[in-house]
Amino acid sequence: MEDFQYHAPGSVDAAVSLLRDAEDGKVVAGGMSLLPLMKLGLAAPGGLVSLGKVSGLDGIADRGSEIEVGALCTHAQVAAAEIVRERIPALAAMAEGIGDAQVRNRGTIGGSVAHNDPAADYPAACLALGATIATDRREIAADDFFLGMFFTALEEDEVITAVRFPVPTRAGWAKFPNPASKYAVAGVMAADGPAGVRVAVTGASGDGVFRVAEMEAALASSFEPASVAGVSVSAEAMLSDDAAGPEYRAHLVTVMAKRAVEEA
Amino acid sequence: MIRPAAGGAAQAPEALSVVGRRMRKVDGLAKATGRARYTDDIALPGMLHGKILRSPHPHARILAIDTSRAAALEGVHAVVTGRDMPTTYGIIPWTPDEHPLCVDRVRYVGDGVAAVAAVDEDTANAALELVEVAYEELPAYLDPHDAIAAADGPFIHEPRKPGRNGNVTKVVKLAFGDVEAGIAAAREEGGVVVEGDYFFEGTTHTPIEPHCAIGLADASGKLTVWSATQVPHYLHRELARVLELDPAMVRVVQPPVGGAFGGKSEPFDLEFCVAKLSMITGRPVKILYTREEVFYSHRGRHPFHMRYRTGARADGVLAAVDAEIVMDGGAYASFGLVTTYYSGQLLTAPYQMPAYRFHSTRAYTNKPACGPKRGHGSVQPRFAFEVQLDRIAEALEIDPIELRRRNALGEGTRTVNDLRVTSNGFLECLAMVEDASAWRRKFRRLPYGRGVGVAGSTYISGTNYPVYPNDMPQSAVQLQVDRSGRVAVFSGASEIGQGVDSMVAYVVAEELGVPLDHVRVFAGDTDFTPVDLGAYSSRVTFMLGNACIDAARRVKRQVQKVVAEAWDAKPQEVLLAGGLAVRAGDTGTQMPIREAFNLAEAAFGALGATGSYDTPKDVHGSYRGATIGASPAYSFTAHVAEVEVDPETGFVDVVQIWIAHDCGRALNPVLVEGQMEGSAYMGFAEAIMEEQIFKTADQGRAGLHNAPSLLDYRIPTSLDTPALRSLIVESIDPEGPYGAKEAGEGPLHPSIPAIANAIYDAVGVRMNALPFSPPRVWRALQAEAARTPAARSAATPAAVS
Ligand SMILES: Cc1cc2nc3c(=O)[nH]c(=O)nc-3n(C[C@H](O)[C@H](O)[C@H](O)COP(=O)(O)OP(=O)(O)OC[C@H]3O[C@@H](n4cnc5c(N)ncnc54)[C@H](O)[C@@H]3O)c2cc1C
Repeated sequence: MEDFQYHAPGSVDAAVSLLRDAEDGKVVAGGMSLLPLMKLGLAAPGGLVSLGKVSGLDGIADRGSEIEVGALCTHAQVAAAEIVRERIPALAAMAEGIGDAQVRNRGTIGGSVAHNDPAADYPAACLALGATIATDRREIAADDFFLGMFFTALEEDEVITAVRFPVPTRAGWAKFPNPASKYAVAGVMAADGPAGVRVAVTGASGDGVFRVAEMEAALASSFEPASVAGVSVSAEAMLSDDAAGPEYRAHLVTVMAKRAVEEA
Repeated sequence: MIRPAAGGAAQAPEALSVVGRRMRKVDGLAKATGRARYTDDIALPGMLHGKILRSPHPHARILAIDTSRAAALEGVHAVVTGRDMPTTYGIIPWTPDEHPLCVDRVRYVGDGVAAVAAVDEDTANAALELVEVAYEELPAYLDPHDAIAAADGPFIHEPRKPGRNGNVTKVVKLAFGDVEAGIAAAREEGGVVVEGDYFFEGTTHTPIEPHCAIGLADASGKLTVWSATQVPHYLHRELARVLELDPAMVRVVQPPVGGAFGGKSEPFDLEFCVAKLSMITGRPVKILYTREEVFYSHRGRHPFHMRYRTGARADGVLAAVDAEIVMDGGAYASFGLVTTYYSGQLLTAPYQMPAYRFHSTRAYTNKPACGPKRGHGSVQPRFAFEVQLDRIAEALEIDPIELRRRNALGEGTRTVNDLRVTSNGFLECLAMVEDASAWRRKFRRLPYGRGVGVAGSTYISGTNYPVYPNDMPQSAVQLQVDRSGRVAVFSGASEIGQGVDSMVAYVVAEELGVPLDHVRVFAGDTDFTPVDLGAYSSRVTFMLGNACIDAARRVKRQVQKVVAEAWDAKPQEVLLAGGLAVRAGDTGTQMPIREAFNLAEAAFGALGATGSYDTPKDVHGSYRGATIGASPAYSFTAHVAEVEVDPETGFVDVVQIWIAHDCGRALNPVLVEGQMEGSAYMGFAEAIMEEQIFKTADQGRAGLHNAPSLLDYRIPTSLDTPALRSLIVESIDPEGPYGAKEAGEGPLHPSIPAIANAIYDAVGVRMNALPFSPPRVWRALQAEAARTPAARSAATPAAVS
């Protein structure tokens, strides 16, 4: 690991200006994604700006038609929150299925969406539910946020403060985890909510999270497992790694979509 | 002269006061509370840190190495290359094909090229980047078949004899009985001949503790090496040989080891490097492998390509077995000569085989070297063979447990390849798993998706011969009794977590009647312990246990003699137990054991003894290779696995494994159960998850490990692990210590075929290649669905909801 400067500011504003001043500055939240990259030498930020001392970013609030989750909320917090379990149980189930207990106790929602790992779970939830990502300077619709593998609409010095999820009529989550890391080999959130009927898939494509129009159309006419069970996605755009080849991944997308609808 | 096995099996359990009880490990508290000091916990004054530069190429000639810039870096104390240690070594004396650092050729991505010692790790790493190596790349072989086919080269190693294929490490062809006649008879007499191709993916050991070594060459010319090794004696020999030192001036210390599983049973580059770097700098030098280096150093299970032909008569009795095996050895020989023999020799129990033939070829490839992993050489064939048996049972419509029963070898016999078998509890193992798993209610009766499978196995309790020929004992201890009543045992054996030191204490406490915590075990230091060959091939309890009994009984006889004189009794009437010497039949006559020891010391002088064990030499045939696979005793195991298969995803959930194991006698049932569970766990991991994948040239970097980290290399955590139920069978071996045999490796073998057979019971597909990962099982289901309409309806997602 390379040397770096460590900062722990007390406010979002201070964090933003430290990021601006630092040479190749990076926010660190739970560190569950960033630190392994630094350890492997794949990332070498010159300045690390921790959000650990910033208060007010770890609340979960019921805003009526939306649930607002602070950027520093851990996966464990989201999984356990009564508000989430009651109003968007699929989101709680998703958070509960991330990694292992250690990762859930450290990893944050802000880190997960900012990192946009193609196998991370939150991007699928954000896209399917039509979430809004709030930052220090603006609001970004999930549709405009996830731009491809490890790539988002965030600017270099931009800090996520919260993610807001519209409460759906129904939503379901199913994922097939990688046996080692528990990252999604294929994870699907199927939702029927204010953003319409949506099916968002993570883990399967090298381009990151994506929606399946054909499944959405089928579900819009009948929100039943059988509607998606016969819809296949093309293996061409699928990821291939040691855990699964493209055809198998494509097959899993259909199976997980069906199970997600069953869960809804 | 070497004394024959002390045995002690005749002792009835009621006469034993320590052995057989459920006890803690003697080192358990120190390890559980973090006070045990592993090699990396040792920091010596003035210690330097070493790092090894590793090859980025799978196969290349080294044209030149320039270390001058590295040596000039501030904080760097020494740089060495292969030329500083030109002597080859290898754990098997007939195949020394490794250098501590490569001299003129690198043979896998990760092969060591140069080593530096610096004030800290960062400086050492920075220095590595300044070492300039000019390579000329050579064609790389990643598949053993390709390597064998290249009979005219280029070769990974120069052939040992001109005209030979330098890509072949070892070929073993052995035949016993008339295989073709057996096959023909099976065909003609209403029996069955089953043929199958199997692939066993290689796997690695993944011990928690990475390899670590510290070298210290002192001013007197003495070299001390601390190392996380499981073979201090062999390391001692090789250090002296390679570094051209008098062995009497070399000391190897083995601190507690954090897991080994066969992955630390030969010398490694870091041990030579710390020694050499310390000899140059005069300062202690430490090298700790990164996790990545552990993966590349490997010596794990060989990938095996296997073809079996098995014939059975109509009643299910085996007629002939024929095997053809190609083994992927990786870049160096390691234990490969033994592995090649084991691949065939260890299959001949627990079933009687009237005719058996095997032809095994080990090839070099440009990948990390394979070696011994728990169940060395025999886990792969066992997988294939037990699946073959399942297919025979099905073809003949015989229950698979019944089929195995009909073929059981029995005790007090010889196998088809002339291995002597003493005790044998295999039938009891079968009966126990059959009952415990409710087999008869489940087999072929569970709903689609759920199934049970059975498999059996055997394993050696130590190899009959050391890796280098000699007539000295295989294992020895020295006892020394203090006036306080404390007994010190100096043991050369390697505690690697399996409980050897505890076993020593149990045996000595049993024999001398002292409380367990009055036995101190000093182990793993070649300067003050007699030689034990190491923790491999499940040899330690059998051999060291007998050596302990031998030593303890010598002291015991002296004590009994003097106490008997004092009491006017016969020596055998003096019992030593529970901290007392007691007169048999007259418990009123007694004295504290300490007083008894003092009487003995007064009569005979300082109280102590040595004890040793060597194997009997009449336990095998006389053909070439007959000694490899020979053991003084064999353990037996049977497993039943129950699985739940998700037919839509191919995910196999192993719900439970019932493990019955004949360990002869459980000296401490807790430790035996631990070994059984650990073995079944490891087998489960290999069956379902582990996969060693290397990139090909098409994928950019030939020979690069795809997942050299614990984030990506899949091994189960406790959450993934099935329920494991251990059922101990005690056949009381006539030559084992109190009747004990091995428990550390045998119980791994059947997990894998039992799971494969259970998958067949659950969803009707034969898994002939490891691992049974979701995509593989799914593809097998797809193929089956394409073949039979019935399976199709079950395996397509639309039909299952
Ligand atoms: C073993 C393991 C298993 C895992 N399994 C899963 C899984 O099953 N599913 C899953 O979805 N994830 C999984 N993860 C990832 C985990 O959820 C991470 O915690 C998460 O992806 C990143 O969150 P973090 O708080 O740790 O972010 P960090 O590692 O601290 O940061 C990650 C990135 O986000 C940026 N960042 C962090 N916070 C902010 C912010 N507020 N504003 C702007 N940028 C920010 C950082 O600069 C960095 O680039 C796993 C991780 C591990 C180590």
